[in-house]
Amino acid sequence: MSSIKMFEKPLGMRDTFPQIYEKVEAVRHTGREFLRSRGYEFIKTPTVEYFDTVGKASAISDAHLFKLVDSQGNTLVLRPDMTTPIARVATSKLLKEKIPLRLAYFASVFRAQETEGGRPAEFEQMGIELIGDNSVFADAEVIVTAMELLKQFGLEEFKVTIGHAGVLNCILQDYTESIEQEDTLRTLLVQRNYVGFEEAVEAFDLPKTKSDALLQFIEEAMTLKEIKDIEKYVRKNDALDYMQQLAKLLEVANLADYVAFDFTLSSHMSYYTGMLFEVFASGSGFPLGNGGRYDGLLEVFDSKVGATGFSIRVDRLLETLAGQTVEKEEAIVVLFAEEDFEAALEKVQAFRLAGKQTTLQLRSSLVDEEAFQAHFTKVVVVGLGGNDDE
Amino acid sequence: MMNELTIAMPKGRIFEEAYQMLIEAGFNLPEEVEMSRKLMIEIPEEKIRFILAKPMDVPVYVEHGVADIGIAGKDVLLEQQRVVHELLDLKISACYIASAGLPKTTMNEIAPRIATKYPNIAMKYYKGIGEQVEIIELNGSIELAPMIGLADRIVDIVSTGRTLKENGLVEYEHITDVSSRLIANPVSYRMKGNRIIDLVKRLKQCVN
Repeated sequence: MSSIKMFEKPLGMRDTFPQIYEKVEAVRHTGREFLRSRGYEFIKTPTVEYFDTVGKASAISDAHLFKLVDSQGNTLVLRPDMTTPIARVATSKLLKEKIPLRLAYFASVFRAQETEGGRPAEFEQMGIELIGDNSVFADAEVIVTAMELLKQFGLEEFKVTIGHAGVLNCILQDYTESIEQEDTLRTLLVQRNYVGFEEAVEAFDLPKTKSDALLQFIEEAMTLKEIKDIEKYVRKNDALDYMQQLAKLLEVANLADYVAFDFTLSSHMSYYTGMLFEVFASGSGFPLGNGGRYDGLLEVFDSKVGATGFSIRVDRLLETLAGQTVEKEEAIVVLFAEEDFEAALEKVQAFRLAGKQTTLQLRSSLVDEEAFQAHFTKVVVVGLGGNDDE
Repeated sequence: MMNELTIAMPKGRIFEEAYQMLIEAGFNLPEEVEMSRKLMIEIPEEKIRFILAKPMDVPVYVEHGVADIGIAGKDVLLEQQRVVHELLDLKISACYIASAGLPKTTMNEIAPRIATKYPNIAMKYYKGIGEQVEIIELNGSIELAPMIGLADRIVDIVSTGRTLKENGLVEYEHITDVSSRLIANPVSYRMKGNRIIDLVKRLKQCVN
């Protein structure tokens, strides 16, 4: 390893320069107003948590956790997601005051870097959690909120893919002959390795009806038009009814165009027990966000009330919004000579009162006046023979 | 409106074979493409753009979404473990990964050394059979390693076995089969799903 140079930051850490900062702020502002208008209350949790609580309960794998040790020798983690800390605080405190609970956040999360570029180790997430409502309406509310939030940002080209762990489990159970086979197939689906799935099905030496059904299911699931097309593979079960209801609700909300159902959707996160979804948008090579019902996580915190939610990655959202032009804000600079400080002060105050962003700068401190002035939309010089008005 | 599809392809023989498959699948592509030194080939008739890359780099382009789909060897996919969808086995350039070494030798008992350009595949394989090994990563001429005493075994691609034989090595264990796969970026797979699934269906009929 080469020695660390003075300008370097830890792997995957990034500075936020003023221009980006303003963009993030704008996203935060829009998102916050939008979510608050729907009754979601913003919350903040500590950056550092115990490994034994949040660290272990989190769906983020151990290898991706930033770990520290406190003075008592406890292992700490930088929070790898927001859902787990919120589950902690909700189950221990907030649910006693209000149920169902609607919470929102905009916060940095930390995931230790792999070696490749393009993957920040700290990034902001915006999301909601709806805790204590087990109904399909809660799931519909979360999906609708996610989609309308994206529209609020002016995003039109996006897709939400929805699946259900229960439906998939039912299919895998019915058409395989052991739990090992079931797990193998599920792992392959998490990796979206359709080739491997087909190979595994053939290698299992299942009765022909079963293997044919699995292969057909995978083929059809990739181009599913309507939920009822999948019915023939699944014995009647609650999960399927649930999804049909959900589909209807999304239709009522007039958002069906953005939705695709995919029952091969599977998550490595074992606490996604029911409906789960992923959000995709053109402009970023990586998914924008995801969500779903995570009753299993609340059980880790000894609660059975159930919860559902989603999160959007702000860095990827900015990538997809990159095409949008941002109007350059008016920025005034007032340059003054030492003896004209008072006059300059009056001038800036007038501008600032009018709500204009105004910088006050001693002219003689400037090394390259022209370069400095280029950063502003308007330059006002007070004194030193400068034009007093503009 | 049909959106542009960017396909990352490995340069060389696989490109030619895959290109022929696309023509067979009914894509309107010029019979002869001038390869020379070009890294990008535009096919406006089909709204397809090929980018030509090193085989090892195809999954990188696809994972980052600068290519929507790509053709990559299973060896590369296993080695790099990138987040891409593996959609179709094109069954071209079939070969396998195996371990090999000098005839009638056993591995060093204390710290067996394995030379390979697939450190992850080799490590995973030996872990799987309960053997702790030391990996020595090489970029080519792997067969040299056992001959000059750098390693006990090598883990490498075998297609005919001729290279092994000519260098006096024998194959010990068959690790996994390899062929070219059609892979897709997860976002493209959703946003350009119709085009990609259509392409998979058409190619599927040409496989074999």
